[in-house]
This record gives sequence, C-alpha cells and structure tokens, in this order.
Amino acid sequence: MSASSRQRILDRIRAATPAAAPQLAEAYAALPREYVRLGAMSANACVERMIERLREYDAEVTRCMPDELEATIAARLKGSGRRVFVAPAGLPAEWQAEEFVWKVDKNLKSLPVSEIESAEGVVTAAFCGIADSGTIVLHHQAGEGRRILTLLPDWHLCVLRASQVVETLPEYFSRCPQPPALVTWISGPSATADIEMTRIKGVHGPRFLDVILVFDQGSQPTLN
Amino acid sequence: MRVSLFITCYNDTLFPETGRAVVHLLERLGVELGFNPAQTCCGQMHANTGFRGEAFSQAKRFVRLYRDSEAVVVPSSSCVAMVRDQYPGLFAELGTAEQGKELAALLPRVYELSEFLIDRLGVEDVGAYFPHRVTYHASCHGLRSLHLGDRPWRLLGKVRGLELVPLANLDRCCGFGGTFSVKNGEVSSAMLAAKLQDIVATGAEYCTGVDNSCLMHLGGAMHRQYAGMKTIHIAQILASTETSPAEVTA
Amino acid sequence: MSHAVGEHPVLDPAQAAPFPQAALPVLRNPQLRKNVAHAIDVIQDKRARLVAEKTDWQALRAAGAAIRDHVLGNLGAYLVQFEERCTAAGGQVHWAADADEARRIIGEILREEHASEVIKIKTMTSAEIQLNPFLEAAGVKVFETDLAEIILQLGEDEPSHIVVPALHVNRSQVREIFARRMGIEGLSDEPRELTAAARNYLRQKFLGVPTAIGGANFLIAETGAVAVVESEGNGRMCLTLPRTLITLAGIEKILPRFEDLEVMLQVLARSATGERMSPYTSLWTGVTPGDGPQRFHVVLLDNGRSSILGRHTEQQTLRCIRCAACMNACPVYRQTGGHAYGSVYPGPIGAILTPQLQQMRHAQSLPYASSLCAACYEVCPVKINIPEVLLELRSQVVEQERKQAGRFFDPIYMGLRVANVLFSRAWMFQAAQRVGRVGMRCFTRKDGWIHSLPGVGGKWTQTRDLRGMPPQTFREWCAARGNAQGKGVA
Repeated sequence: MSASSRQRILDRIRAATPAAAPQLAEAYAALPREYVRLGAMSANACVERMIERLREYDAEVTRCMPDELEATIAARLKGSGRRVFVAPAGLPAEWQAEEFVWKVDKNLKSLPVSEIESAEGVVTAAFCGIADSGTIVLHHQAGEGRRILTLLPDWHLCVLRASQVVETLPEYFSRCPQPPALVTWISGPSATADIEMTRIKGVHGPRFLDVILVFDQGSQPTLN
Repeated sequence: MRVSLFITCYNDTLFPETGRAVVHLLERLGVELGFNPAQTCCGQMHANTGFRGEAFSQAKRFVRLYRDSEAVVVPSSSCVAMVRDQYPGLFAELGTAEQGKELAALLPRVYELSEFLIDRLGVEDVGAYFPHRVTYHASCHGLRSLHLGDRPWRLLGKVRGLELVPLANLDRCCGFGGTFSVKNGEVSSAMLAAKLQDIVATGAEYCTGVDNSCLMHLGGAMHRQYAGMKTIHIAQILASTETSPAEVTA
Repeated sequence: MSHAVGEHPVLDPAQAAPFPQAALPVLRNPQLRKNVAHAIDVIQDKRARLVAEKTDWQALRAAGAAIRDHVLGNLGAYLVQFEERCTAAGGQVHWAADADEARRIIGEILREEHASEVIKIKTMTSAEIQLNPFLEAAGVKVFETDLAEIILQLGEDEPSHIVVPALHVNRSQVREIFARRMGIEGLSDEPRELTAAARNYLRQKFLGVPTAIGGANFLIAETGAVAVVESEGNGRMCLTLPRTLITLAGIEKILPRFEDLEVMLQVLARSATGERMSPYTSLWTGVTPGDGPQRFHVVLLDNGRSSILGRHTEQQTLRCIRCAACMNACPVYRQTGGHAYGSVYPGPIGAILTPQLQQMRHAQSLPYASSLCAACYEVCPVKINIPEVLLELRSQVVEQERKQAGRFFDPIYMGLRVANVLFSRAWMFQAAQRVGRVGMRCFTRKDGWIHSLPGVGGKWTQTRDLRGMPPQTFREWCAARGNAQGKGVA
C-alpha cells in the first residue's frame, strides 16, 4: 500500500521533472543569494539592538559584567518573587543560588513532567542571540536544557553573552558548525492575535522572559 | 518623430474625447501623429477571460500594424500591460520564432501616454491649464505592471490652476477587472463602493487616471449615486488650455 | 455557528457553490466584512512597516523563489533524501498519494497507539484532507490547540484564512462560544480573559494526551528535520510533551538545507503576521533520546500536488510557503472573506491552488474570482505570479467549457466570439460601432446615460450607470478631420 504509493508519487514527480539536475549540489550552489548576510553594526551597537528588540517584546533585560553574573542571577531570581526553579543539566553550579529550591535535570535521571510543571521558573544559557529580530536561540545542549524545561515553567531567565549576539539571521547560520538536531528560536514570549488582532502575551509558553546580557567582550554596559 | 496612436477599442467607441485630447496634446508638443484606421483591439478582453487563441489573433494584428512605427502611444495602462506582459507568452506559445522576433523589436517602442511624455519626449510641463480640484486614481496596471510611479503626478503637478488632492488606499483596485465586473458583479460592486467612498472623501471635482476602463467603472457609480463629481482621463486635463478648455461630458 | 449567515460554510471544493454565489452571504453580512477588514488592515500595516525596514527585501524574495524552484525541479531526489535522513534519525516516513490514504495511515498509527484522544497543532493540510471528521468518526476525540482553531472547533465553524483562521469571528462571538462550550459563567469579551480561558481549557490536555498531530512549515532534506513556526506555544507543547507525534506535510514543503531557513524565516513571519520572527520556531530531527516524542511519523501527502509539477507557469503555485500575504493584500478577499472560496485555501493562492489540486474538475469559478489587480504578486515573498497563473487556468477552463453544448449560448462566450470576428476587420468593427450606437439608443436616457440593461449588462447596471455611446467615434472624428483639413491623424 504505502510502498507502492511511494513509488507512484516518485514516478509522477520524476515524469514531471525530466530536467532534474544530475549534479544537485552544483545546481544548489548556483542559486542566487544577493541578500544581506553580514551585518554592518559594531559589536556594541549590535548588543544594544538586541536589548532594544527584547524590550519591544516586553522581555526584562539586565546588563552585567562577567564577574557580576552570579550576583545578578541571584538578584533576578529574588526579584522575580519566585522560589522553585528548574536547573537544566550542565547549568553552572554557581548560578544556582542557595536560598532557592532547585530541581535539577540530569542527563541520566531527568525530571518527571509533574516536577517541571510545578516549578515556578527556569534558568538557562543560550546558543546565540540574533539582534535583528531579538531572537534567542536554544540548541538544547548542556546548560540550555531539554525543550520541555523552557516550555512549562512560567518564567524563563536566560543568560546571554554579548559574544554570542550576532546581527543577522544568516550570521547565526554561519555560526552553526553543522546543522543542529534540535533548535528553538524564541522571539519574545508566547503570544496570540487570534481575537480581533489584539496581541495577548502569554498563551501556552512561558509568559515571562527575563534576559541577563553579560558583557564579556570587554565593552562597558551602558547604565540604564 | 512619426508616432502612431493606438487609441484602443473602447476609447474609440466610448471615449472619443480622450482620443481627441491625445491628438491636440501631442500636436501642441510638435509630435507628428498617425492614426491607422485598420486598428481595432489589443486582445486584452479575450486574454483575460481565457480565450488565448482569439487574443493571439488580435496580438498578431497589433504587431503587424505597428512593426514599422517609430513609437506607438496608447492612452490606456491596461492595454499597454496586455502588450508588454501577455504578448510574449502568447507569442511563445502560439507564434513562430519570426513573429516572436518582430514582437521583441516592437515592445520597447510601445508607450503608455505618461511614459511617452516623460520618458520619450522628456517633458513634464505640457503647458496645460485646468483650474480644478483633482484626485488621481492609480489604475492597478499602471501601478504594478507598468510601474508608472510618480509620472502622472509629475505631469499633473505642472498643470496650472490644478489642485491635486491625495487619495487614500491608492493601491487598492476599484473592482472593474473587465468581465470580472459582470461575472462577479456583486463582489465588484462592493469593491467599487469602497473605492468610491475614498474618492468622494477627497472632495475633488474630478477623479482622473490613465485608464478609461477604471474611470468608466468609477464614473458609472458616481453618476448613479449623484456623487457630485466626474471622471476625466489625464489626456483631457493635459490637453486643456485657457483658450481651449477640456472637453467634459455630462 | 458563530457568524449567523444562514448556512454552514462549505469548504469541500467538490461540494461548494461557485464563487459568485458563495460570496453573497458574506457581502450581505456587514459585521463579518467589518471583522475581516479590521483584521487584514492590522496585519497589512505591520507587514508594510517591517518589509520597508528590510533593504534587501527584493533579494530575499529572489532567493526564496529560486530555492523553491530548485526544490520543485528536483523534488524526487530531495524527498528521497529527506526520507533517508529522517528515517536514520529515528522517524518513520509514510507516503500518501491522496487524502484518503493519508487519513488511513494516520488512523492506523492512532490504532497502534491505542489513542482515544489527540491534540493538534494548526495545520491547513489536515483541513485539506478533512482529517478531523474522519478521526471523530473513528472514535478519536480531537483537541485543536491553536486559539483560532479552538474558536472554530467549538463554534462548529470553518477556517476563513490560513494564518488567522478565525479572523471573521469577533470578540463577542468568541465569548459566546467559549461561555457555552467551556461552561464558563461570567466570561467577559476581553481578549486577555478569553485567551486565559483557552489556556486553562488546554493545559491538562497538553500534559495528559500522549499523541499529537501537526503540520510542517518546512522539511529539511539534508538532515531530515522538520520546522514549525508558531506564536502561542501550543505548537511547542504538541511537539514536546506527547509520546507520539505525527506530522502531516505536503510533498512540496521541502527545503534543501538547514541554512535555507535563513531566507525563509526572514520572509515568512514578516509576510504572515508582520513580525521579524514569529515568537516560536521549532526544529527537530527524528527522535532525540530524552527530549520530546519518542515515536515520530511523517506523512508525505501528494493529493494532486505532483500533477501541478512540470508545467512552467502553474508550477509556481507550489513555491507557496502559506504566509497568506496574498489574501491580506487582495481587494476581493477583503470583501468576501475566506469561506466564499469553498476551500481551506482561500484568497488568491486558493484561487490558483484549489482548482489545480482538484485537477480542474472542480472550483472552476475560482480563477475568475480576481480583478487581476496583481496586489498578490507584489507582496508574495516567493514571487508567485498569481495573475499569470490565474490567466493560464482561465484558458484551461475555457478549453473545458467551450466544448460543452450549453455554453454556446452563454452571453459572455457569445459576446467574445462575436467580438473576435469584429476585431479581425476594421470595417466590421466600425459597422458594429454604428449598429451598437443605434441599438443602445433605446436604453439611453435623455441625460445621455444608460441606467438599466437587460441580461449580462444588468450585472453592470445594478450598481452603476453606463455612459451612452457618443454620436461620433474617434475614428469617425479622425476621418472627418482628415477630410476637412487634409492634415494629420489619417
């Protein structure tokens, strides 16, 4: 049944496309790509754009220097008014301030769904930030957590380093050494405009996105 | 310069005043204009309704009649769009290589009126006088197929006495679309009503444009609704002077 | 039904009324038209602003079109590659030649899973194959999870747009549906409160239902990965929490490589919702141990698509990435909304896609549901020349219809045949002008205008007058002038 349908569909396609390229990779390489790949901003301006975009999405953004990171995380956790947090596998221990309850996800013994669902927030690192669209990219590697960890808790605190921020989407793709198996591109908290195009924040994903931007490139964070 | 006028079938039949205006205007600008009475239609109506074979026979006629012209001026954006956008496909599908070559050689010499004035003659101020409040309806073919851009505005902007009022939702179709206006009469009427609302809101005395097909549609609704305004082809405004004002019909 | 226009919208092209008739209930429903116009005005405005800020927009469109054309020209090779990579990554790939086969495949997977309930991500492809009624008949309870789809499912309504399917329903109608079907008393019509009601309604379903069905925005041939673009997070829930995930995707959804998303994601969100990126874009590859569904099926659906391949003009249709920019820009859609198109794919793209998926056996009125204003082509992020395809399909409809005996006396067909003869000789055309002038006289009033015409002309005069024929045609004037002055224009 299915096997014969496969053949039937492929036969139809091949009959309709007799001019299919014998050297697919060459034909692909010849495709026009005249669009902007590399951004023109300075590293600093790029980070500022990232912050601006995140704030447009109503994300909270806090700037800090590398040596202030632990204290800044603790302050944000405290400021959130929450107590119980999920820590993904590979999250640096020093990010997990002692005064809070941590549910730690381990590679070999991962947290059950009910534990994640009952947590009030999650703290993660990120793979990349894309300034042009204010996008945070997770590849769900160590420190970034399994996909479910950044989905069920209502509050997501994400640590992003200035050195991870690129200006354009194509720059992000050029930073991937090989295609990742899992990606989540997050551009603001979950939202809907399905009722009269009125934008409502927070439908099913985390309703609150909190970002700490670590100025790890020697640049000074502007005060505000 | 020896220039051929392709007046188009509906201007010939229903809007002769537009043709007369083109003649007066171009003669005033020193253009030697010829009208070949063998001309009829560009084939747009047939092509847009799906009658490709019939459209091709009109297209062949057009190329045959004008292949030796230095320039062909057409006071209708949709007919020029027909020639430019649809003829190549029709000729590729139904014509010979020789016919295709003739078409390719002719195409760069076919001009919509405002293109001819600005691109070929290089004039913006044609010495016109039209002391009225006017809004401009950008026909879809002029806007998105011919990419006329601001050409009509540049011409109208130089007309003495003319007050040009901007039109909201300029890029939205008036709902004519040839046989669409009867095949989908109710939808077309709804689109027309929306467009007319925007036009009436300008408070203009005249709505002008580069295509009498849209203007016929709009003018018909204005007349039905006693809208207190009229349509007028841009050629008639540009031909208008103190001594010889525009011909305006009821 | 939520919009009270008489009858339930029919989105099966084989059953739906022709477009002009199907449009009437909407044209007579000012509330519905207002809802539609408001929604598309908001999206159009946001889209225009975000497209304007992209200095390389035209280059992105050109690249998008080229990538999609390259895929379509080499679809067989890329589908096989996708199948191989997805399978290697732990997915299971199925091929469905038509809607019926796709439904059976999905039904069988659900039987193996002993599934009595499924959660669903919005997928127009599942609406295309009318999956929900099939599943309900098979005893599987379906929970749509996209807010708009919940509104439609609970309101027993049909989608009228491919990105915001419930844009024809307003807040008070949503309130009524939710209050009635979720049993909530004292619900207000505030979108925030209505959205919260949907969140609560679905939360336990997300956590409890072990099987999900969704679609795909893109299939990556190089890696076997699938990408889904969404806003609410319901997609992430369905892609992450269940044990089993079934993805239903049209065969044309392929992209060659992962990095092709750098073009598609830039154009898709801007075109669809007027955002730089949609809030959530997810990509997964087969099965990842410990993360997400551990059983993953992809159903590749043909259902008429391969019949569109290989024809130069028509093949453009399959470039479509379902952003809906064409319907948002369409002045016809603006008046009629989506239901008039009698298909889950409305608007300009529906007008070319639906009749072709039906292999021109149904929906022949759709290619005529356009004034050819080309606003759709201008906004299309993959440069589908929709007017050109519409004209090609019109000529195919004419080829079919002119063979039918009953069409011989169709006034439009007769008129066009006669006109063709007249246009072939100028003297005949001139004679016809004279005859026409005499003939029109009896319809022309003293003011020189025609207020009422019989037959097809009545479609014109129901809302517009027509100027009567002037006493002299242009060619007559030219001839007279030439004779009188012996100059010019002859």
